[in-house]
Amino acid sequence: MKRVTANLKCCWICPTVLLSLFVFVGPPAIAFPQEKITKEELLVLPGEVGRPGGRLVVSLRGEPKTLNPLIAADARSREVIGVMQADLVHINRARQQTEPALAKSWKISPDGLSYTIVLRQGLKFSDGQPLDADDVLFTFRVYLDENVHAPQRDLLIVSGKPITVRKADAHTVVFQLAKTYGVGERLFDGLAILPRHLLEKPYQEGKLGQSGSLATAADQWAGLGPFRLKEYVAGQRLVLERNPYYWKSDAQGNRLPYVDELVFLFVPNADAQVLKFQSGETDMISQLGAENFSVLSRQQRGYTMTDAGPGLEYNFLFFNLNDAGEKTSPEMQRKQKWFREVKFRQAVSAAVDREAIVRLVYQGRGAALWGLVAPGNRRWGNEKLPHPAWSFERARALLKEAGFSWSNGPNGESTLLDSDGKPVEFSILTSSSNADRAKMAALMQDDLKQLGMRVQVVPLESRSLLDRVTQSRDYDACIMGIASYDADPNSDISVWLSSGGLHLWNPSQAHPATPWEAEIDRLIEEQMSARTFEQRKKLYDRAQEILAENQPMIFLASPNILAGAKNSIGNFRPAVLEPYVLWNVEQLYLKNGTENATR
Amino acid sequence: MRYLVRRLGHAFFLLAGASVLAFLFTALAPGTYFDEMRLNPQIAPETVAALRAQYGVDKPLPLRYASWLNSVLHGDMGFSFAYNGPVAPLLVVRARNTLLLTITSTLFAWAIALPLGVWSAERLGRLSDRLLSWGTAVLLVIPDLALALGLLIVAVRSGSFPTGGMASVDFETLSPANKLRDLALHMILPVTALVLSTLPLLVRHVRASVADVLDAPFLLAALGHGIPKRTLLYRYALPAAANPLISLFGFSIGVLLSGSLLIEVVMSWPGLGPLLLEAILARDLYVVIGGMLFSTFFLVGGNLFADMLLYWADPRIRAESNAR
Repeated sequence: MKRVTANLKCCWICPTVLLSLFVFVGPPAIAFPQEKITKEELLVLPGEVGRPGGRLVVSLRGEPKTLNPLIAADARSREVIGVMQADLVHINRARQQTEPALAKSWKISPDGLSYTIVLRQGLKFSDGQPLDADDVLFTFRVYLDENVHAPQRDLLIVSGKPITVRKADAHTVVFQLAKTYGVGERLFDGLAILPRHLLEKPYQEGKLGQSGSLATAADQWAGLGPFRLKEYVAGQRLVLERNPYYWKSDAQGNRLPYVDELVFLFVPNADAQVLKFQSGETDMISQLGAENFSVLSRQQRGYTMTDAGPGLEYNFLFFNLNDAGEKTSPEMQRKQKWFREVKFRQAVSAAVDREAIVRLVYQGRGAALWGLVAPGNRRWGNEKLPHPAWSFERARALLKEAGFSWSNGPNGESTLLDSDGKPVEFSILTSSSNADRAKMAALMQDDLKQLGMRVQVVPLESRSLLDRVTQSRDYDACIMGIASYDADPNSDISVWLSSGGLHLWNPSQAHPATPWEAEIDRLIEEQMSARTFEQRKKLYDRAQEILAENQPMIFLASPNILAGAKNSIGNFRPAVLEPYVLWNVEQLYLKNGTENATR
Repeated sequence: MRYLVRRLGHAFFLLAGASVLAFLFTALAPGTYFDEMRLNPQIAPETVAALRAQYGVDKPLPLRYASWLNSVLHGDMGFSFAYNGPVAPLLVVRARNTLLLTITSTLFAWAIALPLGVWSAERLGRLSDRLLSWGTAVLLVIPDLALALGLLIVAVRSGSFPTGGMASVDFETLSPANKLRDLALHMILPVTALVLSTLPLLVRHVRASVADVLDAPFLLAALGHGIPKRTLLYRYALPAAANPLISLFGFSIGVLLSGSLLIEVVMSWPGLGPLLLEAILARDLYVVIGGMLFSTFFLVGGNLFADMLLYWADPRIRAESNAR
């Protein structure tokens, strides 16, 4: 695994030059059914050459809701759409960097305001209709239309102004930004280019939301991804077939994807997913918990489990720092006096045994966390961020400095008292559907007891939890986790900015409540429009340091990405970015060819 | 006839009441479907607000109920936020699968419970009867969930049963006979789990009702006339004991239906269970209400059927309702 990624890295420094020089050691090619490609400008992927044919079966934790990228709001729909659609520029999930996709090349003007994108020629949608600049124009018109309510719209608003799109010629499109945008071409990742020939009519009739439902006939839906719709059986499965017009080929010029069919089985329950994988009914499994991973690892029969290392999910505790003004109850006022004390938060952070969390919650398959950037994020972490050791002494010293004291109870238990002599007691909310976070809360409860704090853990159903935290804001502390969708810090922008909805300890502020929040706002805004990676990294490192000093979020741990596949699956290389195992689905193949197809 | 009309009236009121309660409870649950979008850093709060307004989530409850009722009367069960489409087609496909499971389980459960209960009543107090009582008691205390998971583990270990689901991946390519076989194979585990979970209740009731009538003078008289035991039990004792059992039949449909919602989730059976669970967690309001209404409808339908059976089986009811 390591060797392959290393290879990729060096070859991708200058893709266009090196690609042709790349030498492959793979099994000799067997006769491919389709003719070699001539006039289309295909993207040639380096790497192991596979064999065509067969079927891949994976399970989804539930049904996708739609095939329409314009309305997909849930992870499952997005996972399915991910293999049916394609974007102009794509973030390679293994290297975490951009690479050409539908765009053959792109150029950013010196002022960073205009992006000229050249499309590959001769490309076709999965229904055989040609792709040209008009499709791209149409796509962005739809995304930006306020009446469509596409979630993509908000990504395309740069400093309050929508990006404008202009057609230069049949295969060239120019995007104009109001302000330089630090993320650069990463912006285009995940923005599926839509088939104008199918969607223009529903768009004009205002019925775009009804298009692409799961019940759509296979010939009424098309995309540019490696697979296209074949059959949907309500509540049971979604069958996709190979897109014969897909625009990638392997190093020997064979058109991808290798497998003929990709089947998503809907399995609503994690344990049932494990059983299905164990019994050989599914070929791959991902998003595994540590317990299930070790069970599967213990009895490997014809499959191999892979630990891809820490992912981008970060789990943290935060205190309620909202200012409800006069409506705040006296009790809440008293509690918030502690919560607002930075030394109190630092003490809590010092008292948390993060290594124990990794060991007991993730069975060692995770990483302790001291900052917002998860260890899976290779480029953006701040190595200089302090990793203070777990220490009750330091925690006690901090509390003492902040005016807290201790009283000894009759049975030798010490109770932490605030400066008014009141005992320190609060509750931590966790989501009842996430066993990992409930365990973290229990471990923290134990750690904080050593400081004399009395902590209750309150598991809540996840919507109720969200309601409490973001709407009624009636809680003391809460443990949550966020999984970034990209390695670039901009994916977490609404966590950083005080006006952001995910600035959970005090969301959607009109003005930054504290000087350090104002400073973070400034740094993040500035890095948004900085041009070079180095500039951005410097600003972003500083923001991470401020966050670590002030501890509005007490970072706990980050789980590893755990996955598994049958030994017969070739090119299986799980990544730490979503979609963990399907990101290179076009390259996955069955080593024993079509024999594997029928079970 | 009047009996039927009265029963139908009851059923209608039950459905109406259930719909009001369903609406109330879903409204009481904190949070809405759109809350999770707020947590998605890619979606601006203004977009969420616009969506909320578009779907009328913020309107007062009676107003929402009235407009929902109006659309139901026009044959439209409402709109699913998650699927971005009408609710009825979603429910109909899954309700069919749930019914298949429930009806099969009901038939099997009764087909096993009746002879077992009669057999046990005949041996009242003997060792075999007591063993059966113990057995049913043990089954009664095992939670459905444990039962289903246990069966799934058996399936994985033995390798001869599919681990959940309703059909194989290549179902469409099979011949009709093989399709039937495939379906039956997939049904074995969930049906077994459901039958095992209701069996103890049914066996115990059958045993008690039959044991009650076994002491009746007319049976002693029949015994005295030298009528064979088997005929006596099934031709005379069982019909006499049928009355409470028929009522229990209606009730057992309800038990199996609610049991099947759970079993479906565990065994990935594509019925109402997984859909409802997901809709409840996601606050997909009208799917929840529609699903609850469908379940109530089956329950009420089952009870109505039991009432009809009772009417047919018990001359007293016929006489009573005709006399009025």
